[in-house]
Amino acid sequence: MKKVLAMLLVLAMVCGMLVGCSSGTKETTDGGTGAAPTKAADNTEEPTNPAENAKEDTITLMVPPVSATYLEKVRVWADEFHQLYPNLTIEIIETSWDDHAEKLSTMALAGEAPDIAEVSYSMIGTYAELGVGINILDYMDEAALADFDKNALDYMSLEGKTYGLPLYLSIQAIGGNKEMLEEAGVDVLDVQQNGWTFEEFKTAIANGTKDNRFGFVFATSAVTASDMLNIFGISAGLNNAFTPELKYAYTSSNMLTFLQAIEEISASGYMPNYGVDASQRMVMCQTGNAMIFGKAMPLFEGNINKNNAALEAKDGTAVEGSIPVQYAYLPIPTMNGITESCFGTVDGLMAFRNTKTTDEHLANVMLAMNYLCSGKIAADVASELYLDAVCESGRAVIGDYLVEGRDENNLASASRQMGLVVAPPTGLTADMSSKAATLMEQVIAPKLQALLAGEVTAQAMYDEICKAAYKEFGQENCVSGAIQ
Amino acid sequence: MTKKQENKTKRKRSWIKADDISGYLFISVAMIIFAAFTVYPVFSAIRTSFVEYKPFGSEFVGFENYIETFTNALFYKSVKNTIVYTVVVVPLSLVIAFSIAVMVMAFRKRTQSIFKAIYYLPGIASGVALSVVWLWLYDSSPSGLFNRILSFFGLSTQNWLNSSKTSMLSLIIMALASSQGSSIIIYVAALLGIDNSTFEAAELDGASFMQKIRYIVIPLVKPSTLFLFVTGIIGSFQVFMNAYMMTGGGPDNNTTMIGLLIFNNAFVYSKYGLACAQAIVLAIIIAAISFVQFKLMGVDVEY
Repeated sequence: MKKVLAMLLVLAMVCGMLVGCSSGTKETTDGGTGAAPTKAADNTEEPTNPAENAKEDTITLMVPPVSATYLEKVRVWADEFHQLYPNLTIEIIETSWDDHAEKLSTMALAGEAPDIAEVSYSMIGTYAELGVGINILDYMDEAALADFDKNALDYMSLEGKTYGLPLYLSIQAIGGNKEMLEEAGVDVLDVQQNGWTFEEFKTAIANGTKDNRFGFVFATSAVTASDMLNIFGISAGLNNAFTPELKYAYTSSNMLTFLQAIEEISASGYMPNYGVDASQRMVMCQTGNAMIFGKAMPLFEGNINKNNAALEAKDGTAVEGSIPVQYAYLPIPTMNGITESCFGTVDGLMAFRNTKTTDEHLANVMLAMNYLCSGKIAADVASELYLDAVCESGRAVIGDYLVEGRDENNLASASRQMGLVVAPPTGLTADMSSKAATLMEQVIAPKLQALLAGEVTAQAMYDEICKAAYKEFGQENCVSGAIQ
Repeated sequence: MTKKQENKTKRKRSWIKADDISGYLFISVAMIIFAAFTVYPVFSAIRTSFVEYKPFGSEFVGFENYIETFTNALFYKSVKNTIVYTVVVVPLSLVIAFSIAVMVMAFRKRTQSIFKAIYYLPGIASGVALSVVWLWLYDSSPSGLFNRILSFFGLSTQNWLNSSKTSMLSLIIMALASSQGSSIIIYVAALLGIDNSTFEAAELDGASFMQKIRYIVIPLVKPSTLFLFVTGIIGSFQVFMNAYMMTGGGPDNNTTMIGLLIFNNAFVYSKYGLACAQAIVLAIIIAAISFVQFKLMGVDVEY
């Protein structure tokens, strides 16, 4: 009897395991056909209007906390969407910024990506190359896309295909303590309105460097090193990894100029000669240990104002050792008469192919994606990030969402810098984009860390970049000489 | 029924007994788990290493991923970094664990347990939590804890994780300081297995402490040493978390271990086929080293 009981238990365990391993859900039988035919592949079939056939469908959405209240609000927006289309439900997968990219990548590799996910434009090439991106132009009409800024849409496009909708265009530059800047002889308003040169910047950080205070600090520890190239490379005319002629730009003499400038200021003593963690850069400004810090975003005005309020309230929530700071959002200085520009990244919602993708389902996915990037939502998100909306309908209503008490000079500076953002050139292939990303991660960022630590010269680093880029793209596809 | 038929039936009966069925059913649980989560992934990785992986239609590319692996300078650099890390960490770990185990043995059982628990504690903490603490210790600013200690002794502060000179050393120190718990417990168990009469006989012969260690303890704990050495090298070759959390492989790829490179290729660059090829190469390297270790050290070791 005992033996029979034991065998039954073992059988139950085995069956339980097999049930656990099975994937017998109705979704897979519904549409697990792999590559779903697109409208481009079969022009005879128009996208289905989900409202008409009213078939129940669930759309998965994976998002990190884009802003402080985004995850709370996205649940409300999903409910609103459900009320608008009662047959459609948005299922939200919440992630943290720390694990979002890796979780999405793992799910995409397994063919189990969510229908919609928040992505940075820099990852679009990788997903397109992997065959999990969906050209939304096959499912959305021109009128829907016409609302979005072309510049922002270009970020979400590769090889004439658009893989997602922009949600916000984030500008990244430098910020500083206004009072200290003025003490160091900087006309802050003039800089915000008209930009400044690298020479003026160097003079400012030299004047701003005192005992226990650096004139300039930039987070360069570990993976943040690439930010320095992306954001500060702008000063030398390195707006993108590729020129409008689709040549690799980081082999240009502009790169050498930029690296020599970094070498000079990192050895000058006006910035720390040790790696600064990303979380420390703003803290250094708040505690009076740095005058200018990077990377900085307009949003930091809110963080700094909150800290100022906490200092005033003496409620113990302020950063330890911090002082009241008036935040100034500043443009990146320009070298050698280069046209002023600003580094921008577009984050948006991207549609993914997964094992349950069908044309009918995709039509619903597009509907949800369009709703989640629509005017009032884009305005709400952008406003919370101290940015401007990336669509016409968003700009029309952003006034209703503006955060109260924003510094008007910072607002104007951010607005001006958004206008200076140069989108990646059109015609880039997924392969080019993917190779450039790998080159950045495997060669440029690690070498930049060594340059900042004073272990490699600018010239040696430049030579290494050229060698790696020539191998990857061919010398004829890389810029030689200067980019104007 | 002929005699031949009778024998056949007997053989059949003796081949499948009721006891056998229940036995097979019992091991089937472990076998299914082993097949699903170990054997299948290995074969799947081998198959994937010959394709350019795409979730909806991979392309067969032959040995291209292997060629890319062996022509990639970063792969060799990561192998070199892993070897440096292993060569320093594994032997030093054994020496530290053995020394602590010997010292712990001098105490009463209750005190031994307290020490074992203390040394094992970092092992139960999550790698991420440990890394956060170590990041704080290695803060490169003058106010960082280790830098304050250096300043106290009049030494210059260090750019711990951001300099090629100290980044690997930082990871090694972290590994040595936080992963000795299980090795100590294994050594203590091995030391407890040595008969006291052996030590008494040695004392009668006038053996010193170091002589007892050299001629009695080290030979008698050799099976444990071999086990820890082999598993230590395997674990060290697969090291990932430390480099991922602490340095991201930098600066200048000086702490990019082969495990981190495989991870990046798979989950950052989505080159899954290439990552599988590198994982297979890593498995072959580990298997070869383990084989050599057993050949050289395992001659007079019995399990």
